[in-house]
Amino acid sequence: MSGVTPLFDAIWDDYMFWSILVGAFSFGWLYHHTYYYRAKEGESPNIDNLEVGVFPKEYDNFKLEVTWTVLPFILIVWLTYISWAPLDAVWSQTGPDGYHGSVCEDGQSSNNFIDASGYVRSECYHEIGIEGQQWFWEFDCYGLSEELCATDYATVEGELKPHLILKAGETYLAEMTSIDVTHAVKNTEFGMMEDVVPGQTAYLWMPAVEDTSFLMLCAEYCGDNHAYMVAQITVE
Amino acid sequence: MNNSTSRRLALLAILAIAMVVVPAVTSLPAGIAGVKDSGCNCHGTEADSSVTASITGLPETYNASETYAVTVSFSGGPSTDGNMNLGGFNLWASDGTFSTVDDSTQLWGPSEASHTESGNDQRSWTVDWTAPESGANVNFILHVNSVNGNEGNGGSSGDMWNRADVTVLGFGDAPLPEVDPFKVLATLVVISGVMLSIVVLYIFYRKNPDSFDWENFSPWISEWLTSTDHKKIGTLYFVQGLFFLGVGGIMALMIRMQLAVPGNDFISQDYYNQFFTLHGTTMIFLAAMPLINGFANWMVPLQIGAPDLAFPRLNAMSFWLQPVAALLIFTGVFSGQGADTGWTGYAPYVVTETTHSGVSMWAAGQLMLVASSTLTGINFLTTMAVMRAPGMGWFQMPLFTWSILVANLMLFLSIPAFGVGLIQVYLDRTIGTAFYDVASGGDPLLWSHLFWYFGHPEVYVVIVPAFGVISEVIATSARRSIFGYKSMVYAMAGIGLVSFIVYGHHMFTSGMSPTLRFITMLTTMLVAVPTGIKIFNWLKTMHGGSLVYRTHTLWTLGFLVTFTLGGISGMFFPSMGMDVHLHETYFVVAHFHYVLVGGTVFGFFAAIYYWYPKMTGRMLDERLGVLHFLTAFISYNALFWPMHRLGVVGMIRRTHTYYITTDDFNALPEWAADWNMLISMSAFLFFASNLIMVYNMIKSLIRGDKAPADPWGGWSFEWMTASPPPTPSFDPHNLPELKDANEHVANEPGIFGQIFRRLMVSDDAAEEESH
Repeated sequence: MSGVTPLFDAIWDDYMFWSILVGAFSFGWLYHHTYYYRAKEGESPNIDNLEVGVFPKEYDNFKLEVTWTVLPFILIVWLTYISWAPLDAVWSQTGPDGYHGSVCEDGQSSNNFIDASGYVRSECYHEIGIEGQQWFWEFDCYGLSEELCATDYATVEGELKPHLILKAGETYLAEMTSIDVTHAVKNTEFGMMEDVVPGQTAYLWMPAVEDTSFLMLCAEYCGDNHAYMVAQITVE
Repeated sequence: MNNSTSRRLALLAILAIAMVVVPAVTSLPAGIAGVKDSGCNCHGTEADSSVTASITGLPETYNASETYAVTVSFSGGPSTDGNMNLGGFNLWASDGTFSTVDDSTQLWGPSEASHTESGNDQRSWTVDWTAPESGANVNFILHVNSVNGNEGNGGSSGDMWNRADVTVLGFGDAPLPEVDPFKVLATLVVISGVMLSIVVLYIFYRKNPDSFDWENFSPWISEWLTSTDHKKIGTLYFVQGLFFLGVGGIMALMIRMQLAVPGNDFISQDYYNQFFTLHGTTMIFLAAMPLINGFANWMVPLQIGAPDLAFPRLNAMSFWLQPVAALLIFTGVFSGQGADTGWTGYAPYVVTETTHSGVSMWAAGQLMLVASSTLTGINFLTTMAVMRAPGMGWFQMPLFTWSILVANLMLFLSIPAFGVGLIQVYLDRTIGTAFYDVASGGDPLLWSHLFWYFGHPEVYVVIVPAFGVISEVIATSARRSIFGYKSMVYAMAGIGLVSFIVYGHHMFTSGMSPTLRFITMLTTMLVAVPTGIKIFNWLKTMHGGSLVYRTHTLWTLGFLVTFTLGGISGMFFPSMGMDVHLHETYFVVAHFHYVLVGGTVFGFFAAIYYWYPKMTGRMLDERLGVLHFLTAFISYNALFWPMHRLGVVGMIRRTHTYYITTDDFNALPEWAADWNMLISMSAFLFFASNLIMVYNMIKSLIRGDKAPADPWGGWSFEWMTASPPPTPSFDPHNLPELKDANEHVANEPGIFGQIFRRLMVSDDAAEEESH
């Protein structure tokens, strides 16, 4: 699987590896036993002498049971461990400890790039605003230059939708609010989504690394025209 | 029924058929023999090829509402000049309207024209035809008569006629007439209801064909409506569950029809939103839960050797709250104002004015279900605590009973939160409180917390009883005792415990502190440990066994496949770097349908095939069962497996449509449309395949082989009673006593057993108190 984001792809590959391993083990076992231990035609032997009204003979093996308690536990600790670092990258804090530095000075560029682990790193970021309401998005460039951030309208399936134009190589932090109900910004190509709950300000990193153009969707059901609450984002 | 009644009914049926058929026969001139087919009945009976009819002035493709001058004419035939009755015509069009231009023509209707008396001596006539707006193709049928004018001597002999057909192409496909989707749903529900009533009547008839009258039917039906017997109530739950499984399925089909192609307008988003809301609510609360309660009602008292549940009347109340609640939940639908909030009903949308008014009734109906579930919880926990048969300790309870205990404990502890949330929503919507009104300081996230504090345990409440079923079936089918009975119980208890601390993963993207994110990630992953124990124990149970392949065995193995896949896909969500992309996509839809359909529903299909002989005293048809399994298992996987891929490429849930990549922007790849079509087609197949089971159940109930007391060779008490069991299920004065193949188990509980016993009411303490 490729093509979402390098970060997503990296975790996905790790998880797929373990999934296939666990799946192959379980299904191999299942298919072997269902075939190998099948009853002969018309026979129904009573192996453990099951008898109505008698609690059956105990059949267990402490060591085995502990094994398949401990091994999956170790596996999930490992999976949690490998999912831990991306957590900080996805919801990176601002400032020098974060992945995207502080707000850019006038004329400063983020110069963002994807590092070996798949994380986007930037020297600084620009702030923009996204406001959701039933049923459209409104972008605010917060006074950034035309080159860095521009808005207009684009035709999507015959309907006029808001259009945000960002610059490749720049990282943006969207300050998001909603004036009515809960919406959610879903930027498929940035591999990110975040709910926009009314009365609160939510933040979402939008690292525009490469030229692209995609649809930003509303991913939290918000009423009648929820499905058509889309906007186009172009990175160029 | 006496003869005169049947004659009256037959007459009514004929009248009804006649009323439907009569308007149809006059609608097409070419259809039925009569005037139109023979041109004019006074001009001979056979068409004659020497007459040529022609229509001119019609375009190849018409424009909407444009008027065309149509000239019809004929040549050939016997007509001679000077003849006062040179000829005549009849022109019929399937659409559009005619109007006359002179007195040589007249109209027989808006789309049928003919000549007049004064136009009787012409070979050509002109009428105006105004095209319809529909855009559909229009057919013209012209009949002309060529007359020799000898009616004075010899009548109309020698007259000739012929016909011509012309089709004018429309400018597009005719839009199908709009149908209110709720009318379709209501019709299907009514049809299902009528079929259900017919089945009920037929079952009553088959019980005793000689006493098929009201005097006998009335006490029989009121016994069902007022019974406190756990078996009858169990059956009622079961019938309700299956009925709503069908209703929820129909709603799913409507959703799938809409999503079959991108940009579809099969149903409007207004209806679509109501359908997916009610699909979720119906499937969870009105289908899955009643199915579980149906089996719990039937089997728990039987398995623990109790004559009935602890509070039989409370049990009846728990059930009868359900159909009333169902009516309330669907009330909005009958007025076109069904709930449109999603089954999660996120605040503040759920309390805003843009929602449908049916949301209030939907909340009220769910409140009744909260009451019903709470009463059920009290009832089952009490029954298991105090009514186990002599010799049955906690750790000799069959695993299905254990699963019901764990499920009810979870439900009992979590559902009050949902109740509180629903009351707040209801008050916000009706008397203007402001729990969720942001402007007045309400907190929308409070709902998310209350809902998911209940919602996550709830999904385990519906899956854990399926674990119980699988444990029973796999042990019996492999002819072995279950592997690791105790670790099975601890695993279920573990799932119950963990269920309360994982709900945060539903709110990963709602703004969460970094610490909580990490904790929730870990606890969510933890669910895999007890679930893994259960799967490995089931697999180990088969080791050294002798698996007898029956339909319920097949469903159990099917469950193991689909549930394992669903479990594995579930592991992708706690990893938040991935989850931010997968959240609210079809990957989620695929996952929870794999665990809820492939888990709960498959588990309960196994339960149906396993316990049906016990419940009805009739064996199910195994061949139909295998057919059901094969068709359903294949169509099920074709239905839900592709959704994983769609989710990964970014198709999101709960949307009326989806966007495909164009030159201007990236969205879903083009193949996503084909996959959606495949999913929709599989959905219909899956729905249809389950009708095989319904047919099997009805057929076997009437004609099935008589079932023995223990057809599969199980060990628990339900197999001790007759099939079907008597009422009361066990003689209260002569309860069965559970023996134990390993004596030490009852006397020497392990270390966990001792701790657990201290937590529960111990048998000895309860006994001492009662003395």
